[in-house]
Amino acid sequence: MPTLIKGGRVVSDDWTLQEEIADGAIRPHTIVPASYVLAHAELFGEAQDVGIWIPGDGEPGEIATLLPKVALVAIRFPTMNDGRGLSLAVLLRTRFAFTGELRAIGEVHEDVLNYMHRCGIDSYQLPDGHDPKVALAAMNSLTDFYQGSVVDPRPAFRRIARGAK
Amino acid sequence: MYRYDEFDQHFVDQRVAQFRDQTQRYIDGTLSHADFLHLRLRNGLYIQRLAPMLRIAVPYGTLASRQLRMLAHIARYYDKGYGHLSTRQNMQFNWPDLAEVPDILADLATVQMHAIQTSGNCIRNVTADQFAGVAADEVVDGRPYCELIRQWSTAHPEFNWLPRKFKIAINGSASDRAAIDVHDIGLEARRDANGAIVFDVKVGGGLGRTPVIGSLIRESLPDVHLLTYLEAILRVYNRYGRRDNKHKARIKILVRAMSPEVFRQHVEAEWFHSKDGPTTLTREEIDRTVAAFAPPPYLPLESDSSLAAARLAEPEFSRWVHTNVAPHKQPGYAIVTLSTKVTGVPPGDVTDVQMDAVADWADEFGFGEIRISHEQNFVLPDVRERDLLELWKLARSQRLASANLGKLTDIICCPGGDYCSLANAKSIPIAEAIQQRFEDVDYLYDLGDISLNISGCMNACGHHHVGHIGILGVDKKGEEWYQISLGGNAGRDSSLAEIVGPSFSRGAVPDVIDQILEVYVAHREEDERFLDCYRRIGIDPFKERIYADAH
Repeated sequence: MPTLIKGGRVVSDDWTLQEEIADGAIRPHTIVPASYVLAHAELFGEAQDVGIWIPGDGEPGEIATLLPKVALVAIRFPTMNDGRGLSLAVLLRTRFAFTGELRAIGEVHEDVLNYMHRCGIDSYQLPDGHDPKVALAAMNSLTDFYQGSVVDPRPAFRRIARGAK
Repeated sequence: MYRYDEFDQHFVDQRVAQFRDQTQRYIDGTLSHADFLHLRLRNGLYIQRLAPMLRIAVPYGTLASRQLRMLAHIARYYDKGYGHLSTRQNMQFNWPDLAEVPDILADLATVQMHAIQTSGNCIRNVTADQFAGVAADEVVDGRPYCELIRQWSTAHPEFNWLPRKFKIAINGSASDRAAIDVHDIGLEARRDANGAIVFDVKVGGGLGRTPVIGSLIRESLPDVHLLTYLEAILRVYNRYGRRDNKHKARIKILVRAMSPEVFRQHVEAEWFHSKDGPTTLTREEIDRTVAAFAPPPYLPLESDSSLAAARLAEPEFSRWVHTNVAPHKQPGYAIVTLSTKVTGVPPGDVTDVQMDAVADWADEFGFGEIRISHEQNFVLPDVRERDLLELWKLARSQRLASANLGKLTDIICCPGGDYCSLANAKSIPIAEAIQQRFEDVDYLYDLGDISLNISGCMNACGHHHVGHIGILGVDKKGEEWYQISLGGNAGRDSSLAEIVGPSFSRGAVPDVIDQILEVYVAHREEDERFLDCYRRIGIDPFKERIYADAH
């Protein structure tokens, strides 16, 4: 079972990830492919307790109409070193103002959580074989950053007094 | 020079602890080989043919004497007593022990240095004119902007996992010593009509398998918008750059596929949202950074009259002054390039003793500052003209006084097959064979300025595409062969070299170079440079001579 990290700790996962929709039904508390929902708008009425997942190279504009209706968006990272999902997360949080849960799924690596967090991702589905204790420690291995982020848009030079003494 | 504040130091210290933990997890076996690769690369650590290689960042090629002494210490204590100046102004060590790398990084942090993002698919060390801040032909000192970009790009949340490596260079002088046309982003700093600093932004230049000259996508970008504009470029690249084929993953391929104009539209559309946002630089932050690069306390000197007399008395010294000493902004001062190009020594290799000596000279004859050029030489930026003779004598005693800057034997050369696991062929023995063949100083001078660049493979770390003469190592059925090209140039009027024809065996290369030079000497008009002659007469006379025997 993958482990879910959220809010700086391991939590139980009350969502079910559906890789595909076999029987045509969208059930509450499932994370379903955004592509399926877009193709079957009739199944997806008013606000439901549903999440969608999109690949890291997905276009946020294509799911813009769904965003107000879903509680959760999961971004799938195909490999540890594919950063497309990070830009996607930033766009969802900033340009598309998504305020629900933004989750990393797929090849979620403990040493990338820190970057994901700063791009606005707030829950992480850690694959089997990755130690959540290590992940929580790694997440906090760097604490101060030069740049602004989704978490705090101010770069260091707007946040603190800089300068060598 | 820029000095770390508490924030910088804290960041680098945390990064050392982070990498120590990652290395330990790898040694314990809880971090896989494949995953550790991405992490170690972002801390400068390659696993090479013979041993790990650690690439240490020398931001925009600028070092303090105490930092160079630390590099000498690392060479002595952790390595085999030497280091290598890279073509991106960094320092590489070829023999560190993997388990000791965190200790090396901790030592570096004590002198405000690191190896962050010197490899891996991320934003690399920003490079600059090695004469920035002192060059007589400078319009804008690029170093403060390099430092602002260094900070912005360090552990950037969004851009640490790009399709491929990403190199940014800044030039602010009349001549372009930073080769900005062949970088992922090349920034030309200049002053607009009102005297404000602005940037012309070129994107998608690069060497490697597909050499391309960058395309201008934005003119006169005000300096406060530099970071938001870079962020817009990087976001377009991060999202749309190819990831299916690493040979087609550089931004130049994306720019070419989209066309520079469409790429520009994408960038402008992104920038529309972030322009004037919080990442916009403040005047205060720019001023603070510029102040860190304030000129040192120069003495009010006149141009030194004893220099002419000393040159008359010492022809060898005079020659060195002619080739290796460049004009300085400040009267009575000079910029000295200490050439590492000595026959029998791989270009860019320097010993711990040489590093300590250069650090001492920087203190004695300057203000404790050293530069590394992308041509793999040391530069002392602030030498009093009256001290040039003494410095030359000392440099000679350390074999750092080759008067060959810009000449045929000032070869740019990658580590090649002797060290690098990517190489198809060795490059260092080629450099040595050419240096041996053309040791006659009078002949070298008669030939004038010629750049000869050697790469051991298509990745072009030796910049062979922009050498007046370029040599590329190729693999031909398991044997090392060398392809020769002509007419490349890295400077202001950059051009990419043209391949002359079928490749040659290693033994034949010096003869072929000889033949190329004969054609040049036969065709040149008065003081015509090799490059100008080549551009006038074209490649055919060279082809005819080189392949005459084959007809």
